[in-house]
Amino acid sequence: MRFVADFIGALREAGLQVSPAESLDALKAIKLLGLESRETSKTVLALTLVKRQADQVMYEELFDLYFAGVEKAKASNKELNKESNKEADKSESESSESALDAKSNPSSSQADMSDGKGMQTSPRSLLGQALGENKDMSLAITQAAIDEKLSSIVLFTQKNHFAYKIMQRLGDEALSAEIRSQANSLEHKSSLEHKSSLEHKSSPEHKSSPEHKRKQRELVKARARLLDQVKDYVEQQYGIFAQHKGLKYREEYLQQAKLSQLDRLDYILMQRLVQRAARKLASQHSRKRLTRKRGQLDVRKTIAANAAFDGALFHTRWKATRIERPKIVAICDVSGSVSRVARFLLLFLYSMQDVMPKVRSFIFASEMIEVTELFKQQGIELALEEIMKRWGGLSTDYGKALAGFQSQALASIDKKTTVIMLGDARNNQGDGRTDIWEKVFRQSKRVLWLNPEQRNSWDNGDSIMSEYSPWCSSVEPCRNLKDIERIFSRLLKYS
Amino acid sequence: MFILELQISVIIKHQEKIASPEIIQSRYEDLGYICSHSVATAIYLACHLQKPILIEGPPGVGKTELAKVTATYLNAPLIRMQCYEGLDESKALYEWKYGKQLLYTQVLKEQLGDVLRGARGLDESIARLHDFGDIFYSQEFLEPRPLLQALQSADGAVLLIDEIDKADQEFEAFLLELLSDYQVSIPEIGTVKAVSTPIVMLTSNNTRELGDALKRRCLHLYIPFPDAALESRILATQVEGLDSQLREQIVALIGKLRDMPLKKSPAVSETIDWARALLLLNVEELDSHWVKETLNLLLKFQDDIELVEPEIKALLKGLR
Repeated sequence: MRFVADFIGALREAGLQVSPAESLDALKAIKLLGLESRETSKTVLALTLVKRQADQVMYEELFDLYFAGVEKAKASNKELNKESNKEADKSESESSESALDAKSNPSSSQADMSDGKGMQTSPRSLLGQALGENKDMSLAITQAAIDEKLSSIVLFTQKNHFAYKIMQRLGDEALSAEIRSQANSLEHKSSLEHKSSLEHKSSPEHKSSPEHKRKQRELVKARARLLDQVKDYVEQQYGIFAQHKGLKYREEYLQQAKLSQLDRLDYILMQRLVQRAARKLASQHSRKRLTRKRGQLDVRKTIAANAAFDGALFHTRWKATRIERPKIVAICDVSGSVSRVARFLLLFLYSMQDVMPKVRSFIFASEMIEVTELFKQQGIELALEEIMKRWGGLSTDYGKALAGFQSQALASIDKKTTVIMLGDARNNQGDGRTDIWEKVFRQSKRVLWLNPEQRNSWDNGDSIMSEYSPWCSSVEPCRNLKDIERIFSRLLKYS
Repeated sequence: MFILELQISVIIKHQEKIASPEIIQSRYEDLGYICSHSVATAIYLACHLQKPILIEGPPGVGKTELAKVTATYLNAPLIRMQCYEGLDESKALYEWKYGKQLLYTQVLKEQLGDVLRGARGLDESIARLHDFGDIFYSQEFLEPRPLLQALQSADGAVLLIDEIDKADQEFEAFLLELLSDYQVSIPEIGTVKAVSTPIVMLTSNNTRELGDALKRRCLHLYIPFPDAALESRILATQVEGLDSQLREQIVALIGKLRDMPLKKSPAVSETIDWARALLLLNVEELDSHWVKETLNLLLKFQDDIELVEPEIKALLKGLR
């Protein structure tokens, strides 16, 4: 039961939402079917804990990781127990032998006696003793890890730190000190021996000194083994707790990150965020639709339907309201100055096409090009790639582009249309053709201008934002995902 | 204690049937429904934990069929409710029998004279009126819809709420009380508790994300497309007299089709239809001619057919 609870903790860290009620269900289910079969327990936990298909992959990964760890620990426990039993037998016989040796050599010198005692009996430090007896350390490691709050690990750079901390808690300090002192005394003794061997040739020291060395080497080796074990454990726990936590931090950071500072990897993550935001908007959208569904009472139909009830009005009939989804025409600047942001804006628009059926997308640098069909036909990656390759990074000409827009799309803009312009209004000193933009404004329901630059850099240099802004319902800086989400949710709410 | 006994009557009656997932799996097989171990485990847990199951998966993998076979297996009536946009509680839970209510008030009007005869003063009349049982809003005038039927059936029932994702979000919220406590509130009457706990199954094709509250109350079973071995067994039971070699070929080809980027991948039900058609046409071995002729049984979009047709030879080559 204990590790089911731990496992649930790990799932939560990885971003799955597991409620206490679901945890209880899982425990009940496990009680019914047991944990013996790995396959069964995997199914059972999936049934009770994983409610989203998207989480399935994460769950399977974690389950394998976690239960591999648990099973390994069990297996090694058993083996170690067997081995340590054997070892214990051996070491007992050994120690009795050495004791006999010691007895049979009562002639050994005083100094040697004291040294010999220190080394032949088990090491003085507790950890050393434990290692000497080949005890299973995994339980102790787990305990130490809990004391050191290993589950709070976030970054891979913390791994060594935690490994060190756990070693400390296990009593590594005493052990190292002992190893050091032994090394010292060995050196000291060997020099002594060297002298003494010059004085009397045959002495029992010859025998005991390799024995001491062996013991000391063994201790060092055992410590290295322990360190490995601790590191493995930390690694495994890091896999369970931290990898996904790191992801969470990253995503939070990304929501705030400026659009232009994203590298390629972040871009993929961003894509996921955008899709999530779009889904959020979709649910909002449908809810809004529902409150509108019931319209006015249709008196004529109601009376007709209730004629059977003596004219008393039981069944009401309603005039259904036509649902008018917002028509959106989106124009996106992909010229050199905004191309990095445009990628992202296009990405968002692409996702929005799933949400709102009537989105027409245009892009421009100097020519106005409709990309609605391209978006429909191509996958998101390919479409963006193609747009950026063919039209991205060219120099801007708002005048020419707007003229193109006039001939292509102005006729289809009516009072239900929202026009969204994504651009920085940097026109290379050319004629901005604000007259066309005025027409667009007058014909449409609303014109939104989203500018990827900060407000205070508008109208600097070749930016002619203030020439367009009279013909926009609102002009907003749009610098990160939060901005976009805010803008679009408002768009859906008031449309 | 009495209530408790009543509530788990479905399980007591069929205790031996649901003793373990393995038994469920093998018995379902006898009924012609081949399921994976995880499906059987889900049924087992649903019976023992008294929890609804939310079944998700691509269309045509047997989500609805699972509910049907469960009902047959447990000898319980299957009450099915198909969800759609605009479904509300008057269609799902209950409706008043307005016509009868109206008649009742008229009968009441006639009776009123008898009831009030001899009453002195207004106070006494009203007192008598109060004594007169008011049944305008009562069980008698209640027309039970699927959900209420499921709660009222004495021997338990299998309630199938089909394609819950098609219903509105409000309706989902309305189901929560039913799913967690097996009771519903009717404002005029009060709370109606289940006579015996039904086994509830919800299916979803994932056209929209369901609410977390709903998901939390259910076991979540995802049925994917079956693997080759399972599908082959399904075919063996569903289509009698199918040559085993042809069966393997069909299954392998379907598996390959599912890996292709199709608008709609062929589901199990389509595999079965196709196999039946091939049997009917006396096809002994898959060749490109027959596949081309019958492709429209498998693929329901012209785009998909156009995508697959030129590939048929290559696909078939891999089979031998």
